[in-house]
Amino acid sequence: MDLKKRGLSESSPLKASSSALMAPPESSSPSNLNLNPNPNISFTTTQFGPSNLCFETRTNQSFHVYQPNLGIQSLQSYHDIKKKDQQQVLDWDPRVMLNNLSFLEQKIHQVQEVVRSMIGREGSQFAAQQQLVTADLTSIIIQLISTAGTLLPSFKNSSLPNNNGSLIGSDIPSSDSTKASEYEELIKGLSSAGDEGDDLMKYVNACGGEGADSVLAEDDAVDGDNLPPGSYEVLQLEKEEILAPHTHFCLICGKGFKRDANLRMHMRGHGDEYKTPAALAKPSKEISSEPVPIKRYSCPFNGCKRNKEHKKFQPLKTILCVKNHYKRSHCDKSYTCSRCNRKKFSVIADLKTHEKHCGRDKWLCSCGTTFSRKDKLFGHVALFQGHTPALPPVDDTKVSVVLDQVQNNDLMNGGSIGFNFGSASDDVGLLDIKGDDDDRGFFSPMNFDSCNFGSLDDFSRPSFEVPESSFSILPGSYNYVNRNGS
Amino acid sequence: MAPHHAHITVLPLDLLIYIIDRVPEPADRKSIRLVSRAFHRAECLQRRDLNVIRREALGMLIRCYGAIESLDLSACAGLDDACLSTALGGGAAPGLRKVNLSRASGVRWSGLAAMVRGCPRIESVDLSHCVGVGDREVAVLAMLAGLKELRLDKCLGVSDVGLAKVAVGCPGLEKLRIKWCLEISDLGIKLLANKCQNLKFLDISYLLVTNKSLHSISTLGRLEVLKMVGCYYITDDGLNYLKNEKNCNTLLSVDVSRCHNVSAFGLVSIIEGHKSLRKLKASDCYVDLPLNCLSKLGMLTNGFHTLKVDGSEVSEPRLKIIGANCKGLTKIGLGKCKGVTDENISELVSNCADLKTIDLTCCHDVTDDSLIAIANSCKKLESLLLESCSLITDEGLVYIGTCCPNLQEVDLTDCDLDDSALESLSRCSELMKLKLGLCPSITDDGLDYIAKCEKLQELDLYRCTGIGDDGLAALAYGCKKIRKLNLCYCTRISDQGMKYVSCLPELKDLELRGLTQVTSLGIVAIAFGCKNLTELDLKRCSAVDDLGFLGLARYAINLRQINISYCNISEQVLIRLLWNLRCLQDVKLVHLTHVRKEGFMLALRSCLDKLKKLKLPTILKDAISPALIQILQDKGCRIRWVDKPIPFYMKDSPPSSPDP
Repeated sequence: MDLKKRGLSESSPLKASSSALMAPPESSSPSNLNLNPNPNISFTTTQFGPSNLCFETRTNQSFHVYQPNLGIQSLQSYHDIKKKDQQQVLDWDPRVMLNNLSFLEQKIHQVQEVVRSMIGREGSQFAAQQQLVTADLTSIIIQLISTAGTLLPSFKNSSLPNNNGSLIGSDIPSSDSTKASEYEELIKGLSSAGDEGDDLMKYVNACGGEGADSVLAEDDAVDGDNLPPGSYEVLQLEKEEILAPHTHFCLICGKGFKRDANLRMHMRGHGDEYKTPAALAKPSKEISSEPVPIKRYSCPFNGCKRNKEHKKFQPLKTILCVKNHYKRSHCDKSYTCSRCNRKKFSVIADLKTHEKHCGRDKWLCSCGTTFSRKDKLFGHVALFQGHTPALPPVDDTKVSVVLDQVQNNDLMNGGSIGFNFGSASDDVGLLDIKGDDDDRGFFSPMNFDSCNFGSLDDFSRPSFEVPESSFSILPGSYNYVNRNGS
Repeated sequence: MAPHHAHITVLPLDLLIYIIDRVPEPADRKSIRLVSRAFHRAECLQRRDLNVIRREALGMLIRCYGAIESLDLSACAGLDDACLSTALGGGAAPGLRKVNLSRASGVRWSGLAAMVRGCPRIESVDLSHCVGVGDREVAVLAMLAGLKELRLDKCLGVSDVGLAKVAVGCPGLEKLRIKWCLEISDLGIKLLANKCQNLKFLDISYLLVTNKSLHSISTLGRLEVLKMVGCYYITDDGLNYLKNEKNCNTLLSVDVSRCHNVSAFGLVSIIEGHKSLRKLKASDCYVDLPLNCLSKLGMLTNGFHTLKVDGSEVSEPRLKIIGANCKGLTKIGLGKCKGVTDENISELVSNCADLKTIDLTCCHDVTDDSLIAIANSCKKLESLLLESCSLITDEGLVYIGTCCPNLQEVDLTDCDLDDSALESLSRCSELMKLKLGLCPSITDDGLDYIAKCEKLQELDLYRCTGIGDDGLAALAYGCKKIRKLNLCYCTRISDQGMKYVSCLPELKDLELRGLTQVTSLGIVAIAFGCKNLTELDLKRCSAVDDLGFLGLARYAINLRQINISYCNISEQVLIRLLWNLRCLQDVKLVHLTHVRKEGFMLALRSCLDKLKKLKLPTILKDAISPALIQILQDKGCRIRWVDKPIPFYMKDSPPSSPDP
């Protein structure tokens, strides 16, 4: 644990600016925000959000943080902690600490002088001095952190004996309920950080900018996809490996196993640390590997964007991603929805998701895609050339039903004129009045006979007599006149 | 006849076509066609447009005139799918470009599908007022890839899906009217704007769309005309969206009438955003026109010619500012505006010498001084609407009559004028439309003056109780071109007057409400004389009996609309009438006290397949079999039920619909 040395020697920008957020004395100074001496690497404050929170929590809580933590930790990990802490204790030297502090004091005085001299000046010299101050402050902060880092585990160590009797965490201060969630947050962070027990050290470590082998790797949710090429290790599983129904995967080489026991046996090949009885025993919840390098996965399909040979290679994050990607993109869709019998999926989870909504999608596109919302359909139609919303199938039954009704009920009321309805499919033949004679009989005294018009028409008449099946059934066609000149 | 006939047949077909090309009048063409088979053949080849009135003739006519490009079926009674598909489905008119199916309520998708198959080159379709038309019908039309113009006004079933079909299927669409298609929402408009970038004309009046739609519409780079009457959800912000670089120089006409949430700020953004604007209509927006808004009008190019701000506040000095900023104005609408005075009018017209249309409807403060100012400034005046301007007198109209020789339309309804005013107007030889309703002081002498206006086509004499038969004689002698005549409640008119009216050969629309002295003789004369009569209103003509209606049934075979409410018609004659009038589409049958419910049912059955509109008293609602009503509605007929009590003077007549 040459933490101190590391802290002193390293001055990576990451370390500098992130530690600036936690350093108690300097955090009030506005110049801390400009601590990044390397302008090529820019940091967004959001990147530091989570770590910032943790630090603050810790600095505010002092010991209380560790008590619940220890209480919840399993017995085994507690033992681990104890071992490590004893090593830490041996590491800590008051003389070295004193040295560091006096060095810091000198350094602060120097900066004070420079800043004092800057008052009342401006121009290029001012800028140069500002840079100087920035650099100095950076190194002060780094050193302070390292110093504090060596100190902190010893605090913890000294507090441990007091807690021996109450390992189960019964002494969580109940009055402190507002902080309970913060505790939980921290515990989560700590337990995910691994079994080191020395969680604070881990954080300091992370701030120390250890890069690939630091806890930062665990925290890749922050910005995992934008890792620069080369900063991670690329693994490529074989096709058979991907398609095998494995659920346990080696975090080092990516090989999959059906049973965890087999994986553990496999792990022995990766090094001696996996051969200990603890590693071979059934793992408890908190078990986690040593800090592992960032791993990304490549799809074995040549030409795929997810294949490492591709020019714009985009790695996959996890093995599950590889499996799903490979099945979705390069495999047959063998799972068919039992409800619609149309949609097919290669990943069974996708099928299950679909089946939840299947049948509820009433908005259908001409391409067969269904949507649960109209605006989604219209967005789709707007996007793709030639796609249109589909109409529901034709409902042909209505007309015939009505006609049947009429035939059954209405004939009774027909009076002297009988109605003969054509078949339901024949729209034109709807009405056929049979009582023609009767009709004429009514009006014969009035001398309005309507039969003598035909002779007026010269030209259209012959062509009209060409039988037109649709219209010939109309009884009135005998007095047809082509009067519509226009 | 024979030698002429022989002579014509010698001519080659192309020469005959050449001759026919020179005959513009349909009636003359008909004469030519009846003279000779050769001419008929030539016309079959030459004719490009066809207006079919009876469905029985449709198939034959299409086969005859295979070269037609434009087909009007809007007046075709009883047009249905079978009829349309047999006529057009076989490809008999392959060159058809334009089809008018307005109010063809019996047509559904199967007929349209056949039409689309047979005439794939159709570019323009009018389905307006076919209330039953829905997405399926529109989807069929969307198969016409070359469609450029589509009218879907009041196609109530059309939703976003139908609109999307059109938008995707007809990317070349240029004109689209979807007024009253209430199912259409922002989504549909957005897709339309996305797919149909060639749109030049868009009517979204009365749609329930919001500003989002205007945002989409603002991306249409070629839009020239945008109508959004009565879009209540559109606000000033939406109009601000239209201010887009893309269409700033194309938009020519905007109509935001009755958009109650649009204020003067919206108008300002329209004016600022579209310098080339020519028409701006903002009637009934309840806009208080602020002065800065009006002065912005000066930013528009000289092409700005129409401004309609009916119902707005235009008090001093707004009209003056309009006049000063829009010197090229040709139409101004100030109907029901507050603050219109003589001074305002003269300030406006003194700047706008080109005004052709001035609408001062219900500007009650306007007096003769305004008319004098208008007459002095606007020599090109064509239309002057002065309804309810009761302060004007014949003195003002003298100026109008002498100074405005181009006057074509005058509305003097409810101005209480007398004969001398008509004397002044009689100098306007171009007059085509004259409204004199509610002027009881006008007498036959006045009509004598009017008779000098030979070009008169429309005359409204509603409740001009002073006129009698002699006036009609003068009219019938002088104004042979009259097509529309309203004589409602001119109670002095008798059969003799009807005989004069029957001499008007062009008459198409005649309203005779409440003419109690007119008997069957007069009606038979009308039926016999006016062969072109398509609309007839005989409501409350209580002296007309069965004989008159039989005359109508026998002779007035082109009638499309008839109102015989409150008339004394018997059951048999009603059946006969409805059966014989083969073009009949719109019937009003309220309170026919001599007709039993069985009679109604038989009568309705006899015209089952041709009716599009029907008005019946509510009492019959339960008496008529629901199946019959269902068939009527399925065939595209709309039934309006009227709940009015039977008037006392009709109660003495035999019981109306006794229950059997």
